This record gives sequence, C-alpha cells and structure tokens, in this order.
Amino acid sequence: MYGGGNTFEGIKSDELTGEDPVKLAEFEARIERGEKIEPSDWMPKLYRKQLIRMIEQHAHSEIIGALPEGTWITRAPGFKRKMALMAKVQDEVGHGQLLYSAAETLGKSREAMIDDLINGKSKYSNIFNYPTFTWADCCFISWLVDAGAIVNQLANAKGSYGPYCRALDRICAEESFHLKYGHHCVIYLASGTQKQRDMFQEALNRWWPPMMHFFGPSDKISVHTEILMKWKVKMGTNDDMRNQFLDMYVPKIWELGFTIPDPNLKKNTETGRWDYTEPDWEEFKRVINGDGPCNSERLEVRRIAEERGRWVREALRTAKTEYVTPLA
Amino acid sequence: MKSLDPRVSRLPETGNSSPKVPLDQFGTFEVFVQPKEGKPFQHEGIVHAPNLEMAYVLAKEAFTRRFTCISIFVTETRNVYVSALTDGDEDAYDHVTKVASTSGKETFEIFHLLKRGKQHQHVGKVEAGSHNEALWVASQQLRGNKQVFNIWAIKTSGIRFTKQEDLDLWNTLGEKKFRDAAAYKGGDKLKSFLEKTAQQ
Amino acid sequence: MNNEALKELLYKMADDQLILGHRNSEWTGFGPLLEEDIAFSSMAQDKVGHSLALYTILQELGEQDPDTVAFTRNAEQFHNSLLTELPNGEYDFSLIRHFLYDTAEALRFEMLTQSSFEPLAQLSAKIRGELRYHTMHANTWIKQLGSATTESITRLQKSLEYALPYALGMFEKSPFENALISEGIFAGEQVLEDKWKRKVEEVLAQTQLQLPAWDTITPHLGGRVGKHTEHLQPLLDEMSEVLRIDPTAEW
Repeated sequence: MYGGGNTFEGIKSDELTGEDPVKLAEFEARIERGEKIEPSDWMPKLYRKQLIRMIEQHAHSEIIGALPEGTWITRAPGFKRKMALMAKVQDEVGHGQLLYSAAETLGKSREAMIDDLINGKSKYSNIFNYPTFTWADCCFISWLVDAGAIVNQLANAKGSYGPYCRALDRICAEESFHLKYGHHCVIYLASGTQKQRDMFQEALNRWWPPMMHFFGPSDKISVHTEILMKWKVKMGTNDDMRNQFLDMYVPKIWELGFTIPDPNLKKNTETGRWDYTEPDWEEFKRVINGDGPCNSERLEVRRIAEERGRWVREALRTAKTEYVTPLA
Repeated sequence: MKSLDPRVSRLPETGNSSPKVPLDQFGTFEVFVQPKEGKPFQHEGIVHAPNLEMAYVLAKEAFTRRFTCISIFVTETRNVYVSALTDGDEDAYDHVTKVASTSGKETFEIFHLLKRGKQHQHVGKVEAGSHNEALWVASQQLRGNKQVFNIWAIKTSGIRFTKQEDLDLWNTLGEKKFRDAAAYKGGDKLKSFLEKTAQQ
Repeated sequence: MNNEALKELLYKMADDQLILGHRNSEWTGFGPLLEEDIAFSSMAQDKVGHSLALYTILQELGEQDPDTVAFTRNAEQFHNSLLTELPNGEYDFSLIRHFLYDTAEALRFEMLTQSSFEPLAQLSAKIRGELRYHTMHANTWIKQLGSATTESITRLQKSLEYALPYALGMFEKSPFENALISEGIFAGEQVLEDKWKRKVEEVLAQTQLQLPAWDTITPHLGGRVGKHTEHLQPLLDEMSEVLRIDPTAEW
C-alpha cells in the first residue's frame, strides 16, 4: 500500500551532466516508445537513484503497512474476517518481498534497504504512523488506504522500469481482494448497529486528514519532478492522484451515510475537480520527519523483529551460496 | 512496549547488539511457475534462501498462494546463463555464435523472452557441453518464428523441480475463496441498507 | 454411529487447529525473514481454515454455528492440547512446536482418510496437499537449523525439551477411544502416537538434536478435558474482543 507522497529528493542541476548524450537519447527514445527499461539496459545514474529510492520506499510502506492492520489480526471478529485479515496482512508482507526484489535489480541489497529503514535513513508512507484504535480503523485502512494505494499503483504499473511494473501488476491483482474485503467490512459496519456506525464514523474522522496527506504535498509546493515524469518514474502529479481517489471513493463513502470531516469538500462543477480544505502540510512534514503518533513504535517493532530473527539468519548463512543481484 | 497491538505489547525487549556483519543476506534463487496444464513454466521472481531446498519451500508460498498453479521450480541465480538483451527487430539468437561441440554433455533448460517488459518462458531443453553451446544448440532446435529478445539457459541438474509425490501441494488452491475478491460481494447488503435508509 | 464420540474427536481437532492457527498468526509481520513470514502465515491460515471445516461438520451434527462455537466458549469448554495454547516464545519454540504438532496433524488426517465417517474422510483427503506442505516446511527448517550453528542447535534443543511433554499431551486418550476404534471412525490415539514417535525420531536423526528417551518424558495432560494453562483464557478474550462488543451484530 503506497501513496507516493514526498517520494523524491530535489534534483540538483548537475545530476545529468556527465551522461553520454547518445545513450541518454536512446534511453529516452525507448521510454517514449512505451518500452520498458530492464536491469541490463543502460540508464542514467539519476534514474537509477530515484527509482531505488521510490521502490525502496514503496517496499518499506508494505512492511510497515502490515503493522497498523496487524494490530487487529488476533481480534478480527468471526472466521470470515479472521481469515481474510490474516491473508491480507500476509499479502502486504508479500508485496514488500516483491518490491525489495525489484529494487534489488538496481543494485541495492534487501539487507541494505532494511538497515536504512531501521536507522531512519529511508522513508515510508506517512499514513502508517497513525494508530488503529478500533476495529473500524482497521477497516478504514483495508478499504480506503488500499483504494488510494491502488490508484497510485495502477498508474505506476504503466511506468518505465520493467521489474517494478511486473511487481505492481502482481500486487494490483492481489489488491483487488483487499479492496473488496475492506468495502465489505465497512458495508457491514454501516448497515449494522448504531455502535458499529459510530465506530466507523469516528475512524473516518481520525483517518481523513492522513488520507489526504497520503498522495503527497500539493503540486504547488512539491519538488519539481518533470524529468521523472518524462522518464515515467513518476506517473501522475500528487494532486491528480488525490483527485482521482476522491472521484472514485467520496461518493461511496457518502452512499453509506457517513460524513467526511471536511465542510469544504465538494466537486467543483466548473473545474471538474474536487475542492477541499488544504491539508495541513506542516503536520505532514512533522510526521514524515519522525514526529507522528506511531513512528517510533513502527521502527522499534521492525528493529525488534530483525534482532529476534538474527540468530535464524545467521544460522542459515552458508558459504555455499552468495548474494547476487536478481536478474529481472 | 505499550501498544494498541496486543502482539506488540508482548514483544520481548531486545538490546541493540554489536554492529552487524554487513551483507549477511543469503543467496538469490529464481522462481518459475506453471499456471496450468499445457502452459509453459514462466519466470515469476526471486526468493533469498540458504540453499535450493529452502528456496523451493519458501518460493511455494511467496509465489503460488494466490493464483492458479500446478507446479514450480527454482534455481540459483548464478546457474542462469543470460544472452544479450536486444531490441527493435534484432533477435537475441543473431548474437549466438557457433561453439565447438564438447564432450560431457549435460541437459539445459531454455527460456525465451518474447516481449520486452514481460517474463521469460520455458521453451524446451537441449543437450550441450557448456552454457554457450546450449545457446547455440537452442538456436538450431528451439528458435521459432517469433522474435526473441533474450535467452536464458539453465543447467537442469541445478534445478529443484516439483517431485511427483508433491504435485498435490496446490490441490486446494482453488478452494481458498477467502483470498478471492469474489468472496466479498457486499451488493445485496448495501442494497437493502440503501432501501432502508431511503424509507427513513 | 456414536455421535458423542465423534463430536469429541471433531472438537479436539478443530480446537487444536484454531488455537495453533491463531498463535501462529501472531508472527505475521514479525518473522525472521520475509519469505518465512509469508510461509508461516499461509500455514496458520490453513489451520484456521481446517478448524472452520471441522466446526462446520459439527454444526451439521447439531452443534452451534462455527463463529459462536469458536468465539464465545470459555477456556474450560475448549479441547485443544496444551501444546497449542502456549505463547509463541522465540522462533525456536514456534518452529519446534510447528514440527511436533504438524507431524501429528498430518498423520492424524492421513489416518482419517480411512474413517468410516464420510465427511471427515473426505476432508482429510482434500487437505492432504496442504498438510504435505506443512511437514515439508517443518522438516526442512528443523533439519537446517538443527545442524547449523551452536546457537541454533542449542536453542532448538532447549525448545524441544520444553515442548516434548506438552507434545505427548496431544495424544491424551479420549473416554470414547474404544467406540472410535470399533466403529472405524479413528484408529485411536495410541496408534497415532506410535506413528508420530517414529516420524519424529526419523527427522531428528538427521540433525544434531538429541531426542530424550520417550519413557523419561511425562506428558502434560488435561487439555482434552478442558483443563488448560493460564494462557488459553487470555488468548480467547483477545480473539473475541471485537465480536464481544456486540455478539448479536454482524461484523
């Protein structure tokens, strides 16, 4: 589950100097034709660097994203929910596995990525730094955070890097179950008792601001990514993604009789886009820089998991095999 | 650690142990899946594992828990010999040159990439004395009408196949409906809810 | 057919699968490597799925629906073996338990493919492939870690010695043993226990782990008659926390 928020560093003006202009032109022509770039193809250093950064963040978001829903894995009500949630959280871990593998084809090992996650060097989706107080929070994530992720992932699956696109094709196919399951859970809360309805309304109130943050800062204030759009690393602007999500899901939330906690939220009939209260981007920055309600817990859980698993990995290490970069 | 997640609240405290040995990640293994009878094995991705057997066991759930599958095999990435990757109307076999036949023949599995951006598929096996010779023999025996962008040759002896007695591993895959979107049809519930609220 | 005997068998099997499936699902997201995290979760899902199938058979025999049975009974009404309810501990214990339990699980269902009770025989035949994966997974890991580093061998050895008395408790005899055997429903705990011991010996012989003499191990019994450790009730309370907000609501 990944929203693409704040993925890219500012690009320094000299980062493209030194690239062979003939190779660069061939590379760009290939992307222009709609062909995929494969690991053995020539690519600019900047392309490699930004792709590693993006895919790695996406992978971390899956692994960390398993935690807020995992909070309810032992408490899901009834067999149907229990088995679905087990399978869904498992899928998030599986998506992490696929995405780390895709990033590895660019030359960074999974271990190095996980180290950077734990030591705080690399980021993950901001939304997973918020707590899941009740079962309804868990349902919000299953439905709407996954929905947001799918908007982003479907776009990215049309990107230029072969291994990433293939991982995303697989992930999107798996996510269709997540989305349906999440919606199913919320329909049951909506049509259930007053207590159940209240639970979801409260979850919606809590999660709406981070959901709006999920797609990243407004285009007006985000770093310039033209070159990444041209190279089909970034496939849509943050505002476009956010708008697409609102188009698809606001009516479904309203249909269930819930109130979205933004009095200014409405479709602008002139622009065809959604008007909304500008999200608090200062809070977004604060949380992404470590000061959210769950940042320290999320990383501490990962650190403990790595620490507890260390003896297992050390026992499995053998001289007979060695780490190599995956082929595709 | 105090947490909303009871599992996290139960986690033991662990100290930070001494700086870890860098790169303790183990080997890389490529995973191939046969989705159904009559379809070729297709490359699906990798797992990291300490040996071939562990790779097989881990690959099974990493790659075949959701979509149809009747068989898998895995091999170490180092065992995959990769031809040049071509583009335009250039065929990968155009770069394969004749290699003198050597003694000590072994079997190699041959895979073709028929479209850039897609996955390699198994096309057959050849007998050869080296990976290079395997590509040459494949160019004589397995090259079809379709353009090939990339060829992989894998020594059969380095592959962990699915054993005959393990073919039932995927028997119940189709019955695990709880992992299917189709098991979560909320339409009727939603409809009756909307009808009820419309009356109010 | 002796329904009382049959129900007792089904309950203890279903409860075993549910409780251990639940326990193993606690590892999801915390596993020692990503691929293993995924594999272990799949097997937990299989177990919970088996428990659902067994509770569904029980429902057909007149018991309450699976959700009610699984989520609203108290500890003393559960018939799972004590082994399944113990906390996960570190991965060494979870793996050893997985090995000891799943070896028995596979053999039990294998025996039940011959059951005169048709629904159970059919279920057992159907899930054979899943169980084959469980034992393949367990055996591969135990062989690997049971002969790797001093630390891994020491850890597994310690967990093995801790788990064995509980593991023998899996074969606590039912008051209906004779009826089950004579009616051809199940060949009995004794037969299963003997097969299990041979299998455990065979796998451990391929490792550097030491199996204590069987006659030196005193089984921890009681689970099959509702006498549980202090760990089961909190597990059940946690499992049913949301459902209990309103047990009559649809979730």
